[in-house]
Amino acid sequence: MTVAIQKKICMLGGFSVGKTSLVKRYVESVFSEAYLTTVGVKIDKKSVTLGDRVVNLILWDLAGEDDMSSLRMSYLRGSAGYVLVADGTRPATLEMALSLRRRVEAEHGPLPFALLINKNDLREQWAISDGDLEELRRNGCWVRPSSARTGEGVEDAFTDLATRIVR
Amino acid sequence: MSTSAAETLEWLFRPAQSDSGIDRKALASLLVELARAVEPKSCAQPAGVSAVDPRLTQLRDLLVGHEIEVLGRLREVIEDPEQLGAAVGRVLPTAVASSDSRLGEVLAPALEKATAASIRNDPRALIDILYPVIVPAIRKSVGDTIDNTFQSLNESLRQSLTWRGLRWRFEAWRTGKAFAEVVLNHTLIYQVEHVFLIHNHTGLLISHVAAEDAASQDPQLVSSMLSAIQDFVRDSFQGAGQQGVDTLRLGDLRLWCEAGPLAMIVAVIRGNPPEELRRTLRDVLSRIHEERRQTLETFDGDSSGLADIEAHLSDCAALKQEGPRARRRGFPWYVFLLAFLLVGIAGGVGLWRWEIAQKMAQEQAQIAMEQARIRAAEAERRAAEQQRWSDYVDQLRAQPGLVVAESGERDGKFVVTGLRDPLAADPAAILRESGVDPARVVSRWQPYQALDAIFVLRRIEASLQPPASVKLSIEGDRIVAVGSATPRWLLRARAAARNLPAGGPALDISQVQNLAEGVVGKLRAQIQARDIRFNTNESLPAPGQDEMLDELAAEINELTALVSNMSMMVRIRVTGHSDDIGPGTYNLSLSLARAGAVVALLKKRGVPADLITIGGAGQLDPLDVRGSDSARTLNRRVSVAVRLEEEQ
Repeated sequence: MTVAIQKKICMLGGFSVGKTSLVKRYVESVFSEAYLTTVGVKIDKKSVTLGDRVVNLILWDLAGEDDMSSLRMSYLRGSAGYVLVADGTRPATLEMALSLRRRVEAEHGPLPFALLINKNDLREQWAISDGDLEELRRNGCWVRPSSARTGEGVEDAFTDLATRIVR
Repeated sequence: MSTSAAETLEWLFRPAQSDSGIDRKALASLLVELARAVEPKSCAQPAGVSAVDPRLTQLRDLLVGHEIEVLGRLREVIEDPEQLGAAVGRVLPTAVASSDSRLGEVLAPALEKATAASIRNDPRALIDILYPVIVPAIRKSVGDTIDNTFQSLNESLRQSLTWRGLRWRFEAWRTGKAFAEVVLNHTLIYQVEHVFLIHNHTGLLISHVAAEDAASQDPQLVSSMLSAIQDFVRDSFQGAGQQGVDTLRLGDLRLWCEAGPLAMIVAVIRGNPPEELRRTLRDVLSRIHEERRQTLETFDGDSSGLADIEAHLSDCAALKQEGPRARRRGFPWYVFLLAFLLVGIAGGVGLWRWEIAQKMAQEQAQIAMEQARIRAAEAERRAAEQQRWSDYVDQLRAQPGLVVAESGERDGKFVVTGLRDPLAADPAAILRESGVDPARVVSRWQPYQALDAIFVLRRIEASLQPPASVKLSIEGDRIVAVGSATPRWLLRARAAARNLPAGGPALDISQVQNLAEGVVGKLRAQIQARDIRFNTNESLPAPGQDEMLDELAAEINELTALVSNMSMMVRIRVTGHSDDIGPGTYNLSLSLARAGAVVALLKKRGVPADLITIGGAGQLDPLDVRGSDSARTLNRRVSVAVRLEEEQ
């Protein structure tokens, strides 16, 4: 018998890093993107099958902010994990992602997360080096380059995150 | 060990036995028995054991010395209340946590007593503790009650005057229920379409039940979004405290949210649910909390094995109130009767309304006609006024000396502006005759001098004041003066003619005769050439002067007649003179007497006396100054001067 369980996942990242478009093609969505600007959050669902289990990741796509203080931390309550998204062409967004991670951990303790460095299709314009990514991996980050255009890294991130959450 | 804590303590506090603590005799016998078992020949007697044997003490120390020391320390702890308190404090939480429900039963009476005592001592402390909990609860309860009341009042008002309302009143009276309750029971038509149970902490869906044929989006997504909206409202509106949205309404669809400590129940209701339904939801929620508290606390997204919760929710989802049922079939007598009555009433009312409508239509038509007539009259009046106004303006334009620069209607007033010669006709006077209401007319006239012959003529008349002997008239583009005038007037007239503005009519005075010339001038010269002679010292004319006097009188009369035709008057000055012999004063009076004599003689010859004035020059105005006798003879005379004056 297939068992379906739900997990709450928050999608976090700076302004216009592309986290909404990154997952757009891979999720079930019933709400319009207008929710992001009005309520500050949009809920999507991503089902991941792990063996005989189906994990429904309920994705809380939080409005991207360049001003961290305006992020509604209350939306993170009860999250089983989170996805951080940064823009490879803008190092500041990686800083932002890491600082979001610190903030989440300060308020909710350590949680499984995946860090996606987006816009891998513009690799030649990247301002983040492979050395930087290696450094992050050494520090225990699950980090992958991703692309909203090709879909690279997205499925991996969700599968891996789901695995770590339900372990 | 199954003894209770109280027994344990009692055992510990049991008074200690004497130091020896051991039945030495029994011990000695035991040891002898032991020796015999080892060595059967041994026949030592325990009787030889003294009461105090240091070896026994040594043995005891060897055997149980450590335990004695531990017990001593334990005793110290037990006997010192401070140490005992600290020790119990260390283990109490663990003991309470691991105890079963009996601890609650044991403690409950003591806690109740303690709480009661505490409240008696200082109720404020409890109030402070409960305040944040109780006030929102009371507020919510009062709010719900008021909502209920309003709803029932509203319905009551709506229903109380209808047939159905009367029937329900009867039902309320018959069943003893409140009328509002009866009304609500009959009027609220609703159906609970979905019931969600949402985990507060994660926003994840615990369970969802939908009524048959109810459609909705993915309940997992919907429940998370509802949870997000609750958070959003709580964060955005601080005043709401910890309460979130409890009602959302979209058309006839309502979302009722009831929040519990661990989970929130959300019912999607179509129609008009009674407040009672909210109580039902609250009850279900609290029942779920009661029965599955543990599950709710540890919920991590796994909804399997929650069939009982789903059953509870199904109870809610089944709730609905049907609309009034269709009546049983059969001949619809009531409907027929009612329809007949309604048709009758409707017909009557219709006829009545038709008559009223007819009457009103007639009145309206009359009013419309009257209004049209008034409008037509008004239009006519306005047209007439317009006509009068344009006639007036035309009249002004026709007037010499008036130049209309602008005319028209502005802000309900007639306006005319232009130039006006001060000698021109008065526009106000023309306006008075025009029939236009002067109050509606605004006029602005700038003064100017017109060059129309008539105005030039008038200005000349005003400034030159021509004598009656001169007539001024307009001939073509000239002003022509005809008649006769004194040289002095002619001089002024010539100057005035020169000063007339160029381009205007000219003044022609060529036809004015100068009185100093012609017949009059000649006659005047003749009169003035005549002197009446006198002998020395005589005041009467010398003999032989009568002929001269006759001629003089005739000439004066002729001149008078001549100039009277010219509206002129003749003034005669008769002056007497003397020679230079004798005193001056005498000569003066002599000269006056001579003049008087001549005047009298002229009167006698028909010359009107009022034309003549008398003067005496004495010896001061001699004709010949040589001083000879012949010269003196010439100087004894009366001279006559003629002056022509315009008739007054």
